[in-house]
Amino acid sequence: MDLAKYRALFLEEATEHLAEMSRALLDLEKDPATGEAIEVVFRMAHSIKSMAASLEYTAIADLSHRLEDRMEVVRSAGRVDGAEDLGLLFRGLEGLERMVGIVRDTDEPPAGDPELLSALAGLGSSVEDPPAKKVTS
Amino acid sequence: MKARTLVADDASFMREMIREIIEPEGFEVVVEAGDGLDAVEAFKEHTPDIVTMDIVMPKMSGIEAVKQIVELDPGACIVMCSALGQEALVMEALKSGAKDFIVKPFKPDAVLTTLRKALEKKD
Repeated sequence: MDLAKYRALFLEEATEHLAEMSRALLDLEKDPATGEAIEVVFRMAHSIKSMAASLEYTAIADLSHRLEDRMEVVRSAGRVDGAEDLGLLFRGLEGLERMVGIVRDTDEPPAGDPELLSALAGLGSSVEDPPAKKVTS
Repeated sequence: MKARTLVADDASFMREMIREIIEPEGFEVVVEAGDGLDAVEAFKEHTPDIVTMDIVMPKMSGIEAVKQIVELDPGACIVMCSALGQEALVMEALKSGAKDFIVKPFKPDAVLTTLRKALEKKD
């Protein structure tokens, strides 16, 4: 596998996905029940997870997986549950942006952010709080 | 003769990865699709021998695309591309007519084995 080619593709697509996710979260700030925005955040997190896992960027895969899991809850509820929850989703986005930036700047896999993973796991009242797990998908 | 293949995934990263795995091994990617709607249209236009179908895609999900393709061609050979944790969706896709599934991140041997077996079942 030509890692340089896939790394470049990852950086290009992840950057686009994060911009799209950011726009969708801003839409959710205006209206927490915007179905299309909820779907976009879920889908972008899912896609980044798969790409990152393929390149063994475990920290990015873990964080995007956690964000995806949280968006499943939001999808089921049909809305983001308040400003605190939205703030945590923004923190997840910022964490991913920071990690993707590290890949771009250093060409190295970024370190994990267990505190952010735990914070996201605590988001929403209808979800259990599973320990951070290594993502393989 | 190479198996004419439609690769449907919203990430060009994943489409490229599948292409790189399968093209040296008897498959030819004749068309790619970035969403479920395009996948259905591409299937109609190119009538490929086999389809790899992502589940989570914009405009139309991979599962809905499977349903529509199978309605067009009940013998269509479709292999789902899933991630861990999507077991329920994979089951729904299989019930809808998909032949098998592969799991991301892709392991080349597993991808090739699954696609070949799916084609054998079709034949």
